[in-house]
Amino acid sequence: MDRNELMKWIKAPAKMAHKYSLNAVYFCTGCGIIEVPPTITSRWDAERFGVVPSATPRHANLFLITGYVSVKTLRAIIRTYEQMPEPKYTVGFGSCTINGGMYWDSYNTIKRLDKYIPIDGYIAGCMPRPEAIFVAVTHLWTLIDKDMADGYKRYRKNYAAYRANQEMVLGKLEWPPLFPKETGTGTADGAAMAMDVASHTTGRTG
Amino acid sequence: MRVLWFILSPLIALAVGLFFLGLSRRIMARIHWRYGPPLYQPLIDILRQFTQKSVSHGRLFDIGIVLSLAGSIVLIEFLPFGGVCPMSSSGGMLVILYVMLLMPLGVALSGGEAANPNTSIGISRNLILAMGYELPLLLVLLALMTRYETISIVEIVSAQREAGPAFVSFPLVLSGVAYLLILPAVLGVRPFEVVQAPQEIASGPVAEYGGPYLALVTIQHALSLFIGTSLFVNLLWGGASNPVVLILKMLVVFVLVLFVNASFPRLRVEQAVRYLWRWPSLAALAGLILVATIGR
Amino acid sequence: MNLPLAIRLGSTFQSIDVESGSSGRLVVQVPGESVVPVLTFLKEEGYGYLQLVSCVDWIDRGALQLVYLLSCYTEDEIGGEEGSQEVFVKTNVPRGRASVPSAIGVYEIAEPYEREIHELYGVHFEGHPRLTPLFLERDYEIPPFRKDFDTKQYVADVFDSVPPVKEEG
Repeated sequence: MDRNELMKWIKAPAKMAHKYSLNAVYFCTGCGIIEVPPTITSRWDAERFGVVPSATPRHANLFLITGYVSVKTLRAIIRTYEQMPEPKYTVGFGSCTINGGMYWDSYNTIKRLDKYIPIDGYIAGCMPRPEAIFVAVTHLWTLIDKDMADGYKRYRKNYAAYRANQEMVLGKLEWPPLFPKETGTGTADGAAMAMDVASHTTGRTG
Repeated sequence: MRVLWFILSPLIALAVGLFFLGLSRRIMARIHWRYGPPLYQPLIDILRQFTQKSVSHGRLFDIGIVLSLAGSIVLIEFLPFGGVCPMSSSGGMLVILYVMLLMPLGVALSGGEAANPNTSIGISRNLILAMGYELPLLLVLLALMTRYETISIVEIVSAQREAGPAFVSFPLVLSGVAYLLILPAVLGVRPFEVVQAPQEIASGPVAEYGGPYLALVTIQHALSLFIGTSLFVNLLWGGASNPVVLILKMLVVFVLVLFVNASFPRLRVEQAVRYLWRWPSLAALAGLILVATIGR
Repeated sequence: MNLPLAIRLGSTFQSIDVESGSSGRLVVQVPGESVVPVLTFLKEEGYGYLQLVSCVDWIDRGALQLVYLLSCYTEDEIGGEEGSQEVFVKTNVPRGRASVPSAIGVYEIAEPYEREIHELYGVHFEGHPRLTPLFLERDYEIPPFRKDFDTKQYVADVFDSVPPVKEEG
């Protein structure tokens, strides 16, 4: 570790800790999940970057949305995203999260993920290789350094708009607003969200 | 000076425990033919977890993990640490036996508050596994108490310094073998890693711990690694006259346990209890009976 | 082609059409009402396994065609030459009133296939205990797999009309 890095650690230890300890939620949303096991096992070792898969969203601070998002999956993604502790970072993986990708004219997938949850960056590709995941992680480090990875802050600020978009696609949502003051309802509070059972992240039971 | 050691020994135990955690990730990575995170990765993890903002599920949820951590810290005061032992004159092994159960009980208390079915399953597995290894552990401790005619760990350490380590002396070699066989269960590594099975029950009892709670859980895990290895080294390998030799001996034991961790899959909890109550218990029972009848 | 079976089928049921399909498999065309008796007959003949129920939208004929693929596990149960291990049963239903008796009484495994076909093509199965959606969450005026469902228009209406979240400041 050279002097520059040491100064960064002393000046902003929390930011550096967030960079080098990214726990990714192990949520397989689409076909991109096939690229994640090679990344975290021996051949392309992600643990030396500090990226480790975690089993529950409560332990995680990185959410990789790998692949296409159907309407049912969007429900589960939103519930998982809202359970993660802040600060949290989301990365859209593959071209289906950017503009619909291969399913651009499908009747059941959402085309732009950015309208429903805030995204810090995208990895283009169908599917991106594990080396692309590492490039994305180092880009995320640069963004965190410059304080530009503020997806969770945007979510809190524009929560009313995000929730309106979610309700437009999903219909009535079963969970109360995460930030009630921003939506103006003011009746539910954060503790109600806290009683969310983590095992119900699959949304509607199927 | 004693007061200083009261404060210093949990801190040194935490440092050693975190070093063991980092070392375990590094060694497991090297066994898997990959590189692994840097050795100070648990420190980075704890720093990140402390700076996250998570939700609490109620007052009991907050208290549970604090209770568990308090049990670990108290337990460390009772363990000899090289030449010193902060609580050397009070009860020794009996206190250790019952304070050791505070650690899973604290997590069970907060997990019950979390209202997550994965947590409930994890807690039941945790307590069943504790029941599993408590039986052979009790038999080993009884054999040691009978042999050295004392319940104080400090006297056992000094007796071994004169006569040689316990697990090479005849009746106690059976107790030593039994303790080695249950050591992975006490430390929570494979093949007894069923409690925190990430793929099966979403990390078990700690599934609902976010942010700072998770940092406390990591600290508690580090301390429990220290306690498990230190107890074994003090009781059966003669302890040490200064802390450095003690930590070296604990390192050897821990690396051996890591090799066991790398070679085994995970046993189900009823398979684990069946194993723990069979050969290790028989060996410990045989050691106890031999010590009681034959003597030294 | 299992000739004895074809002859038996032709003599037992009127108004069905038996012909030889690819690799010698039998293709049995039945009208909508007699699907269940034909399936029962074939099950007693030894075709005990319904592999799938599928649907084809022939929009220029104005019909939806349901295809039942039956097979048997071993050849000894059936006898006959090559190709007689599988039998197709096809039926046409009009697109306007698509309704067919459910095959659950004969083959229980038809339940999820019929549920999927109801959800995606709009074919009603009489006697099905649970015709609720399997994959889809929204309501569709025209079932999405029919050929007159305009996917691009639907995407423009539903998904592209959601406004992106604008940042102020």
